[in-house]
Amino acid sequence: MIKIEGLQKSYGEIKAVDGIDLEVHDGEIFGLLGPNGAGKTTTISMISGVLKPDAGRVTIDDADIWLEPKKVKRSLGVVPQEIAVYEDLTARDNLSFWGSLHALRGKNLRGRIDDALGRVGLADRADSLVKTFSGGMKRRLNLCMGLLHRPKFLLLDEPTVGIDPQARLSILEIVREVAGAGTTVLYTTHYMEEAQELCDRIAIIDHGKILTIGTLDELTRQSGEGEVLKLIGSFDEMTATRFLSGVPGVKLLRVMEDTAMVSVRTDGPGLLAVLPSILESDLTIDDVSIQKPSLQSVFISLTGRELRD
Amino acid sequence: MAALRIVLRDLKRLIRNPVRTALLFALPLMLAGIFTLVFGGDGGDGISIRVLVYDEDDGIVSRLLQGVGSAPEMDQKLELVPVGVEGFEMMERGEASALVHLPAGFSKTFLDGEPTTIQLLKNPAERFLPQVVEEGVGIGAEILSEGSRIFRPELETIGKLLDSKVFPADLAVAGIASGVNAKLRGLDKWLFPPVIDLETITITSPDTDAANGGGILAFFLPGLAMMGVLFLAQNATRDILQDRESGLLRHLLTAPVSPGDYLMGKCLSVLVVTVLGFVFLIGIGSLAGVDWGSPLNTAALILAASLGATGTLLLIMSLVGTERQGDALSTIVIMVWCLVGGAFFPLSQMPSFLESVSKSTLVYWAVDGFQKTLQTGAGLAEILPNLLILTGFGMGFLLIGAFVLRRRMAQGVL
Repeated sequence: MIKIEGLQKSYGEIKAVDGIDLEVHDGEIFGLLGPNGAGKTTTISMISGVLKPDAGRVTIDDADIWLEPKKVKRSLGVVPQEIAVYEDLTARDNLSFWGSLHALRGKNLRGRIDDALGRVGLADRADSLVKTFSGGMKRRLNLCMGLLHRPKFLLLDEPTVGIDPQARLSILEIVREVAGAGTTVLYTTHYMEEAQELCDRIAIIDHGKILTIGTLDELTRQSGEGEVLKLIGSFDEMTATRFLSGVPGVKLLRVMEDTAMVSVRTDGPGLLAVLPSILESDLTIDDVSIQKPSLQSVFISLTGRELRD
Repeated sequence: MAALRIVLRDLKRLIRNPVRTALLFALPLMLAGIFTLVFGGDGGDGISIRVLVYDEDDGIVSRLLQGVGSAPEMDQKLELVPVGVEGFEMMERGEASALVHLPAGFSKTFLDGEPTTIQLLKNPAERFLPQVVEEGVGIGAEILSEGSRIFRPELETIGKLLDSKVFPADLAVAGIASGVNAKLRGLDKWLFPPVIDLETITITSPDTDAANGGGILAFFLPGLAMMGVLFLAQNATRDILQDRESGLLRHLLTAPVSPGDYLMGKCLSVLVVTVLGFVFLIGIGSLAGVDWGSPLNTAALILAASLGATGTLLLIMSLVGTERQGDALSTIVIMVWCLVGGAFFPLSQMPSFLESVSKSTLVYWAVDGFQKTLQTGAGLAEILPNLLILTGFGMGFLLIGAFVLRRRMAQGVL
């Protein structure tokens, strides 16, 4: 289990991580979801022993990362956000070097390299220089380096940033396989769909603080949000805001230009009761769509803004 | 062990980049080649000075002077090119080191005992060679002036004989010979033997006989090799900043590798690369005929100078924020050190105040050590100060640089 207690890190006046408490259970895929600059990478850096926290503690299988770094790091695989590979070496050279740092040698190392390259679909490019790889291939090699020593805990820091959808699906599939084999995964992302599809539990982080933790169902229940109504029409923002704020049983999520979003509260009269009162109002509404509650609505409900903001 | 893995990885990266690696070695070799060609091949032929002679006089004295310049012993050092008035244009184009102009009537005026002038035009684009010509012409003028004073009557007679339309009588020639002989007898005390006898002795021994191979290349290669090794160290230490900027360093530290392991690996890696670089450049010198003298001295100097280069560049890279800053600062330091440290020019050609500045650079101590071994066959004891300074400062810089980098890594700055 990865246990994080009271983790803090500041850069001057800026609190990058502000008192985080987390527990990642064995065998689960845990998502850390938040916008850019929320503190995800700083948290991963402190968990992996690269960055010393100002306060707080990280233990992995009850061993403190800062007191027993080498022991803990042997059980840890990290896939950083940057593509951290040597471009002037071949894929095999990179993995060979990385494996040797994890005390893998000889036949065992060679076998692991072949296995790992096969798993990420790079077996036929094993002896090519990395500088000849596409962005997606480099990402897969990056992932490969984190998996080579078959770690018990895998930390992935936005591993799908900047790649095409196909490569992204491939990486998500590999993460599922690894987790299926018993590896505990901590996965940071700012893509809600990824967190929704992949993670058993999710923590939403913003401004260095954990806003909420739970399964997708728990998060939507906690926020008290039901279905989300997306209204498109001809109205000005002020009128729509004034009217929708006053409708009982709904919560205004946002109004922007000709689109308004409201969520139907689970403790209110329900969708069928609120919908006619909205449609019969003075607002000119051309289109209504009903969406299931999602991380997007949870995030907006918690922060008042969309994740991409 | 992690440190050794880092060393092996860096060596593999050099092998995987043969073009980049070759380019790193190309600069000092290219400069050494150019300097050697410019300053006279292997040093055996020396430097030939091209002098234009515009002889408007075409008299006995001017031809005598040109004859001296064309003597066999001067032939390989001095190229006298007879020119007309176009010689001045040739000088404008910088086609010779100097032009000597002997005006019309020069011989007659000289034989008449009247003051006369030799005009010398120097090429301003050249520094040393025109000075050599000026010195030579000055000495020639001095000899002519003294000769004119001592042999005044005889010269006057010669002048009259040359002016006459008939062939000189035996008695007149005998009179001149007798007069000259009498003067020389009077000067016998000073001339045979001369008052000052300059004897040039080159101290030789089996060691120095061996140590003098290679000529000009041997003179320049130690300094240029040191420059090449400094650039190699720059390239290798730059990796630390590249690793940081690319995120490789952070990734590396997630493995069971401590910051200390990483720094030790990088220092060892830079040291190995610089030693290999030095060995390669020295080897090329040997193939080109440079005899480096005592192998023990050479090995000790290679190690000490490599340590000096490694420490210096590690310290520089520890003080800067980005790779670009590191490149700029280290290039300035390397070039200034090489310029004032004697890598390009002999220290004797520099102003005296620069000599003391020069001694504050590791390039000076490396070049000086190699030159002592090469030129005088110095033993290990004689280059011990060089070795101690190179090793001491190298280690000192290395420790300070590693300490600063370690602290920055702990702060998360690196």
